[in-house]
Amino acid sequence: MSSIRKFEKPLGMRDTFPKIFEKQEAIRSKGREFLQLRGYEFLKTPTLEYYDTVGKASAIVESSLFKLVDTQGNTLVLRPDMTTPIARVASSKLLKEKIPLRLAYFANVFRAQEHEGGRPAEFSQMGIEIIGDSSVYADAEVILTAIDFLNQLGVEDFKITIGNAGILDAIIRKNVETDEQFAELHQLLVQKNLVGFEEAVARFRLPRTEEETLLNFLEEATELTSIRQISKYLSGKQALLYMEQLASILEIADVAKYIAFDFTLASHMNYYTGMLFEVFAAGSGFSLGNGGRYDGLLSDFGKDVGAIGFGMRIDYLVEVMPQQEVPKDDVLVLFVSMQLQEALKTAETLRAQGKRTTLQAIEGLEDVATFEAQFSDVVRIGQGGISL
Amino acid sequence: MSNTALTIAMPKGRIFEEAYDMLIEAGFNLPENVEMSRKLMIEIPEENIRFILAKPMDVPTYVEHGVADIGIAGKDVLLEERRNVHELLDLNISKCHVASAGLPNTGLNEIAPRIATKYPNIASDYYREKGEQVEIIGLNGSIELAPMIGLADRIVDIVSTGQTLKENGLVEYEFVVDVSSRLIANQASYRMKNARIQDLVKRLKKCVREG
Repeated sequence: MSSIRKFEKPLGMRDTFPKIFEKQEAIRSKGREFLQLRGYEFLKTPTLEYYDTVGKASAIVESSLFKLVDTQGNTLVLRPDMTTPIARVASSKLLKEKIPLRLAYFANVFRAQEHEGGRPAEFSQMGIEIIGDSSVYADAEVILTAIDFLNQLGVEDFKITIGNAGILDAIIRKNVETDEQFAELHQLLVQKNLVGFEEAVARFRLPRTEEETLLNFLEEATELTSIRQISKYLSGKQALLYMEQLASILEIADVAKYIAFDFTLASHMNYYTGMLFEVFAAGSGFSLGNGGRYDGLLSDFGKDVGAIGFGMRIDYLVEVMPQQEVPKDDVLVLFVSMQLQEALKTAETLRAQGKRTTLQAIEGLEDVATFEAQFSDVVRIGQGGISL
Repeated sequence: MSNTALTIAMPKGRIFEEAYDMLIEAGFNLPENVEMSRKLMIEIPEENIRFILAKPMDVPTYVEHGVADIGIAGKDVLLEERRNVHELLDLNISKCHVASAGLPNTGLNEIAPRIATKYPNIASDYYREKGEQVEIIGLNGSIELAPMIGLADRIVDIVSTGQTLKENGLVEYEFVVDVSSRLIANQASYRMKNARIQDLVKRLKKCVREG
């Protein structure tokens, strides 16, 4: 281990420089207005949580948690997601006041990198949760909100892939013999390792019909033309009717072009119980965000109510948003110290016009020309209060 | 964005030839001979495809980050690199296997068995699974040297014909895993360019030879 140099940061930690900060801030302020107009209430939760509560209930793998110990010897974690803390707050307090709750957040979450850089270990998420509504309309609202939000940001080329954790679990379970087999196949689908799935099915030596069912399902479910195709793999039809209802709501809302169904979609977030989805857009090689129904998580915190939500990555949103050239309109008021009063007045007038105005004493500059070059407009207030 | 090219990351060298021929067989309109000795990128406007030529070990990296939509990578590389990519199809080409090998009639050192390999992850996974604690020594090539001059008790490396082992007086001890080339995809490209990728998978699937 070589010694740490002065400029270094821990692995995965990033600085946000002014230009990127402005872009992220623009998303935040648009998002805030957008979500408030839809009746979502913003909240904040602490950065640190107990490992035994939020740390364990969150779906993030143990090795990705940043852990520390408090003065009493309790293990703490930097929050690895926002859904779990919100489930904690909602079940202990907010649900007593209002049901269903519509909550929203902007927050940084922390996930340690196992291998290398290229991905941040701390990143901003924006998300919503609807807690206490188990109807299909809550599912639809969450998806439509995600779509409208992307449209609002000017992102047009994106896809939302929808699956259902409950249906997928039922189909795999029905056709395998042991829990280990189930876990292996599920994990292979999380990684979308289709080759591995086929190999594993062959290795299990399942009865012919089960083997064929699993392989056909894999092929058919990734290229679905209608949800009804899945029907033959299921004994109970309730979950499927639910999905058909969801599909028809999305049809009515005229967003079908953004939607694709894939019933092999599986998530590493193991608290999803029903519908789940992932968001992708042209311009980013990673998933912008994901969401789904997580009815089980609330019962971990002692409340038996349905809940659904999504979270989106602000850093990836910045990448896929159309680049708007903000006209550079920065004014520099450069003054000699004798003329401070005049300079203050000038700056005030300019700021009242909505111009970004930097006030700088010429005495404080070493290289006037270089500094001036960074502004679109320069007002010099020299001797005798005359602007030159 | 259906007009953007499909970027395919190809491993340089032997696998390139086999995979490229397979694409031609699948009906893609590609020039018979490509001059790829020094090039890193080849544009095929007729098919709206762009090839990037990478070191085999790096193909999954390009695909994971989405600078390539799909790629062709050996299973050995996928196991070693553990990248987050979709594995869509076993092309069943460039077949070989990963095995452990060493000098004939030798066992593992009892105190600190040493394994030399350019696949530290595969090797340590394998021995951990077996319940043996070993020390891994990472090398970048000429792995066969390690047991010959006493750096390690065993090597873990890919074996295709066994000729290299034989020439260096080594014998194969344990089979670790089968290797063949796989078609992999970036998770976002798989959704955004789904129709093109599915079409490619279907066409290639028809050209996959068994055995």
